Amino acid sequence: MNNDPRQITLTEWDEHYEHLQKKGLREPDYGGVLSRHVGDGNKRLLKLRYDNSAAALRLWNFLLTEEKRLHQARAEGKKIVGVMKDLGTVPVMAYSLDNVAAFYPDGAWWIPCVMEFGAGLLEVADSLGIDESFCPVRAMLGAFITESHFPIPDKLICSVGATCDDFSAIAQRLDALGYPIMWWEIPHRRKPESDETAVKLPGGGAAPKSQIEFVMSEFKRIKVVLEELTGQYLNAEKLSAGIKKANQVRRCLAELRNIVFTAKLCPIGAIEMLVAEMLAIHFCSDQNETIIVLTELVNEVKSRVQFGKGVLNADAVKVFWINPVADLQVMNLLEDCGGRICGTEYLFSHALDLIPENVPAIEALAMMALADPMVGSSVDRAERICADIRRFGSEAVLISRIPGASHCALEGKVITEAIHAMLEVSVLEIEVPPVSDSIHPTLCTRLEALIETTKRRRTK
Amino acid sequence: MKKKTIIYTCPYVPAEWIAAHGFCPSRIIPKAAGNPIVPMEGVCPYVQAFVNQVTTSREATAVVMTTVCDQMRRAFDIVTSSCKLPGFLMNIPSTWQHVGAQKLYLEELKRFGRFLVTLGGKTPSNKFLTEIMLEYNNARSSILAMRKYLTSSQYSQTIATFNRDGKEAVSWTLPKDKPPMAGTSLAIIGGPLLEESFSLFDEIENYGGRIVLDATETGERGICGHFDMDKHQDDPLRELADTYFCIPDVFRRPNNRLYDWLKEQLANREVRGIILWRYMWCDMWHAEVHRLKKWTELPVLDIDVNANEKGLSVRTHLRIQAFVEMLQ
Ligand code: SF4
Ligand code: SF4
Repeated sequence: MNNDPRQITLTEWDEHYEHLQKKGLREPDYGGVLSRHVGDGNKRLLKLRYDNSAAALRLWNFLLTEEKRLHQARAEGKKIVGVMKDLGTVPVMAYSLDNVAAFYPDGAWWIPCVMEFGAGLLEVADSLGIDESFCPVRAMLGAFITESHFPIPDKLICSVGATCDDFSAIAQRLDALGYPIMWWEIPHRRKPESDETAVKLPGGGAAPKSQIEFVMSEFKRIKVVLEELTGQYLNAEKLSAGIKKANQVRRCLAELRNIVFTAKLCPIGAIEMLVAEMLAIHFCSDQNETIIVLTELVNEVKSRVQFGKGVLNADAVKVFWINPVADLQVMNLLEDCGGRICGTEYLFSHALDLIPENVPAIEALAMMALADPMVGSSVDRAERICADIRRFGSEAVLISRIPGASHCALEGKVITEAIHAMLEVSVLEIEVPPVSDSIHPTLCTRLEALIETTKRRRTK
Repeated sequence: MKKKTIIYTCPYVPAEWIAAHGFCPSRIIPKAAGNPIVPMEGVCPYVQAFVNQVTTSREATAVVMTTVCDQMRRAFDIVTSSCKLPGFLMNIPSTWQHVGAQKLYLEELKRFGRFLVTLGGKTPSNKFLTEIMLEYNNARSSILAMRKYLTSSQYSQTIATFNRDGKEAVSWTLPKDKPPMAGTSLAIIGGPLLEESFSLFDEIENYGGRIVLDATETGERGICGHFDMDKHQDDPLRELADTYFCIPDVFRRPNNRLYDWLKEQLANREVRGIILWRYMWCDMWHAEVHRLKKWTELPVLDIDVNANEKGLSVRTHLRIQAFVEMLQ
């Protein structure tokens, strides 16, 4: 059995799993052979290629057992909080309390892809008038109505204001359908004016102090709601401890990203990195386990780098990927075409930055919320992307347009122009549906063209 | 000397505040963007039309856009990168049920005031602002009172003209005779209208219907309430903010105030059918179609206005005709 790092299919994983077991693989209670998840309807898994490490196995198993974890949390009497839209901030508050499991119903975004439409969630959304002109997050509506995925949360907390129309409109439908939502306002982040006090935000950028103060007042409202729900007092100490814990996750992830995106040889594939990044948003409903999963991944890639091992060709083109892709398989496709991911901006880069620990906890969280790339202008977002492109030495940029998403139609042009103005890299914009098989030939042609152009640029 | 013009489209931008700073407020009614100057795929045609109009405007001194929807918010980036017109992006809170959101809106108006001052405007005294507010109060009351004397098309155009060109542009002489009040009473609900869309009202009358409630953003729904100048005597800006903040709209979270407003208006006007006017790619209104149909017992005709059409498609004309005939 070849134990070198490589990407393998699900079927190959079955055999590999046996091999690892024979060698004494130790797994948590959610562990097991990966292919069992296909039995839950996750058919897309059959088409993906996976990293062959035990660390990656644990990562996938952790991700794919989240729903079970949530049901278990409910059975244990924990309060379930459905956090919506803000991606990464309110969960830090929720997890600062005991006996709470917080998760993003927004995660249903991936279900149409992972289940290859088999879950029927989009049909439910269709029947409620939320058709394919909305982004894949419309699957969330179906997930609520069918109750066949996550447990219905005890509380829903949703950010609105400087958010996408898709989510705001769908969340409003949910609310009107009898799933009451606690709405909180995230204002559009603007540049501080000359007569205003500016606050530097994590990840660069700045916001006027008045906006920070406003968001702090919103978080105080959320705090009261969480306290009422759990019967616990969310004091400053608890919140600070929660921030420290969240930062532990973020540090791990930062290290992982840094190693992977700057390594000479790509030590781990793009899909595993995407899954790892998503853990930072809400810890896949288990914060402690998230830290363990990420630590194992860090150790794995560190050792691969140390021994000069990788999973892709040495001349793979370093691509910076913008927006999450509706079909995970396209990340494999990019690798097949000769690319590797070196830098990402999946709409939640603020959830990867460290939360300041030297300011009062609520203020720190307000700073994080305002650092969200989606609450500011696309120009600001592009600036941060450019900084990260420089940092990771990415050679090309891929903007993955999300079908139906209100922001995609307008931001692509702004981001592309900004990148062209600041850097000499090729930019390609593609649109990927949740199951993209039918457009693979076209996608491959376009991806290959990007890779070739970039390689030609190298030789100039 | 002709006053400098500030253009905008959002009903939450108070004309009084602009006028009080010495500018001419103009809530424009864009023409459909047949050939968009900045081509944008998958974008609401109204946003495209607005961007077109703004980027080609020769009269405007500045443009004000708002955050009521993601597309408009992001279109601000397009506008500022495509033309030299100074721009102001006003943050309009989506939430409304707590004091913080109201305060945020008030603070935003103050910031807008500072922007107007940078353009050469003058911060108004309370007295002057009050005068302007009263002027607008009177003009709006007079317009609302004209409803019974005008055809639906004239009435909606009067509102739009007043918002765009001010009271001087409104024809205040009422026709001698009230127009015939025949026809099936209909409401039109939805987003803003394009310049070309006003012909719809006459068309509906030709089919035997009559719009008795223009609840589009351009129509009555987009008009703020009556100022109560006694409420905040020393602070007219507060009254201005409070009143504008209450305009019912689809983007508010939750947006039940829109439904409350509709319920009252539909009953008052004895509406027998609803035309829902929404643009393709407008998620805000699109998501409400199904809900509205469940919410009301009235028949609803859902019209999705297609990309940059100069007029409505033949199919849409036929659907409107069939809808009106069905209700007769
Ligand atoms: S993918 Fe874009 S449009 Fe869809 S929910 Fe996320 S941010 Fe909103
Ligand atoms: S019609 Fe809809 S998408 Fe267009 S500007 Fe209005 S709210 Fe935005």
